Formats: sequence, C-alpha cells, structure tokens
Amino acid sequence: MVIRIAAVGDVHLDEDVVGRFRPALEELPDCADVLLLAGDLTRHGTESEARCVAQEFGGLGVPVVTVLGNHDHQCDQVPQVVKVLEDAGITVLEGNGVVLDCAGGRLGIAGVKGFGGGFAGRCASDFGEPEMKAFVRTTNESAESLGKALRSLDCDMLVALTHYSPVPDTLAGEPLEIYPFLGSYQLGQAIDSAPTALALHGHAHAGTERGTTPGGVRVRNVAHPVIKQAYSVFHVGDQHDSDQVSPIGRSGSQRSWS
Amino acid sequence: MSHHRDSGAGPPDEYVEAEIHRLLAEDPAVAEQGITVVRRERALVLYGEVESPHRRAEILRRVAERFPDVPITSDIGVIRAQAPTEIEQLP
Ligand SMILES: [Fe+2]
Ligand SMILES: [Fe+2]
Repeated sequence: MVIRIAAVGDVHLDEDVVGRFRPALEELPDCADVLLLAGDLTRHGTESEARCVAQEFGGLGVPVVTVLGNHDHQCDQVPQVVKVLEDAGITVLEGNGVVLDCAGGRLGIAGVKGFGGGFAGRCASDFGEPEMKAFVRTTNESAESLGKALRSLDCDMLVALTHYSPVPDTLAGEPLEIYPFLGSYQLGQAIDSAPTALALHGHAHAGTERGTTPGGVRVRNVAHPVIKQAYSVFHVGDQHDSDQVSPIGRSGSQRSWS
Repeated sequence: MSHHRDSGAGPPDEYVEAEIHRLLAEDPAVAEQGITVVRRERALVLYGEVESPHRRAEILRRVAERFPDVPITSDIGVIRAQAPTEIEQLP
C-alpha cells in the first residue's frame, strides 16, 4: 500500500506570483493522490490574496488540503480567507481532520496551524504575566487539538499537517534565538500520541528538510524556500524497492529556472 | 553631564540592521521575514529568497527610501517553482 503525497508550504501568494506554480501543478494528477499545503498561502491574509490562492491551487484534479499560517492571519480576515479557499474546493483544517479515499488506502490528515513556544528544556512556560500565559496557552491548546484530531481519524495511514514545526531538527539553518517562534515540542508530542506516519510543516524558511519526532515519526519541512521546487512528493507505505529517492516517471524534462 | 555618544555618523549599525529587519517584516509592501541583513565593511548586504522579481525590487526600493544614506547591496534570489524530478520514499 503506497499513498503519494505532494506538499508545499509558504507560497505567500499575491497577484505577482499567480501562474508561477501552475505548470508544475498541472502534473499533479500523474504523480500524487493529494496535495497538502502547509500554511502561509498568502502574504497578508487578505480576501483578494486568498482569491489568488484559489486560482493557483483550485481545480487541480487532486484533492487539496491546507492549514493556514501566521501570514494568513495578518489582516484578521480568516473567515473570508477560509471561505474563498473552500469555495475553490480546498479543505482547510484547524484542529480537525479529513479522510480521503486513495488508490493505496484511506489517508487521514489532521491539521492545525500550531504556534511557537520552543522545544524541550528551552521553551516558554505557563507562568508570570497574563501575556506570557496567553502565549503558552495558545501553544498548548493548538497542540491538544492536533492530538485529538489525529487520534479521532479512522484510516489506513495518518499524516499530520501543521504550519509551525513540531521538532527543532527541521529548523537547522535558522538562528537558534528564534526557535521559540518557529514551533513547539507540544506539537511533536501530539504527533507521537497517535500512529502518525508522516508530519509535514512549513514556516521555517531557512530551515532544513528532514527531521524525526522523539517518537520516531518522520518530519519534513516543505516550506517553498526550503524545498526550492513547486512541491515535494512523498511515497508513504510499503515499498518494493528500497531506494530512498527515485526519479519521477515523467517524459518531458525541460524546466524553466528563474 | 551625560556622556551621549554622538559620532555624527547616524545611529550605530546594529540599530540600522534591526530597523531594516523589522521594516522588511512589518511593512505591508514587503512582509518578508526570511531576509537576512549582514554587515560588511562598506555596506549592508541583504540575503534571502522571495517569490517574485517584483518583491525583490520592492524590498530594495523600500530600504533605500527609508535609509537613503546607508549603502546597501542585495543578493536576494527568486525561488524556483519547477515540478520535482525526484520523489522521496518513506516506509
Ligand atoms: Fe512563511
Ligand atoms: Fe509562517
């Protein structure tokens, strides 16, 4: 059983970017069962930017599932942004999940934006000023809702989708001083509370691709500036050959590099 | 009797760096958090990756407008958006 998952985050769309991803996206039905978007779809979270996202990522021929990122919250238009995306057939997750019937089995995706907070032994604590407690409460509630969503899905394969990172591994390349703004260990703990097969996130533009939760779940940072391609494709499940990376079966090879 | 440090050369470079960094993140015309400001001997250099040539031009325009006296060069790239040529297999 293999499920083919395409993923990218942090595309930060506005009118000036519309059309840049589309040629690569048109190939998706040939190489993936689903496209997951790891948040920061827009620059400022306006309704008009959301329309750019709908135009670029709508009607692809594969289901598209997303979480929002911090940029998508900037203008306080989350309900409008979500509506525009959902009208374009894009599923927006926040503390909930969805199960998709794929050729290789039922794929369960639980998603949440997540929040900062930091990583074990170097994290913010629920103590002191109300502002600090509110910060950590946001961290905790976000992670708890992810855990609950993951544990609630009835499926053959479970994937966690967040904007903020669940592990410090995939932040390598970012300044250590800003790790607490890039993710929290509580997200990792939530991911480890369920039989998760893969965790995808974005947000850390200067981070690296690969990491693992303390519980052994593979984590991939799919932020566009990190993967430097329109999306990454993961084949998850039992493999016949043991190669870690193999070429995509596709004939054309001309690509525009700009 | 305050020992006010005033070299006549404007604010210390660290503050200019911090201000540029915040300008890039908070200015709605830019809103980029992934740009690094590095101090070199003769100029500040901006590094990072953006989604379009238009955004790169806008960053330089805004920074030059706000800090007309600071010499600034840029090495900002536009992120490629081609389809992948390889997949990753995970057990
Ligand atoms: Fe981002
Ligand atoms: Fe982000």
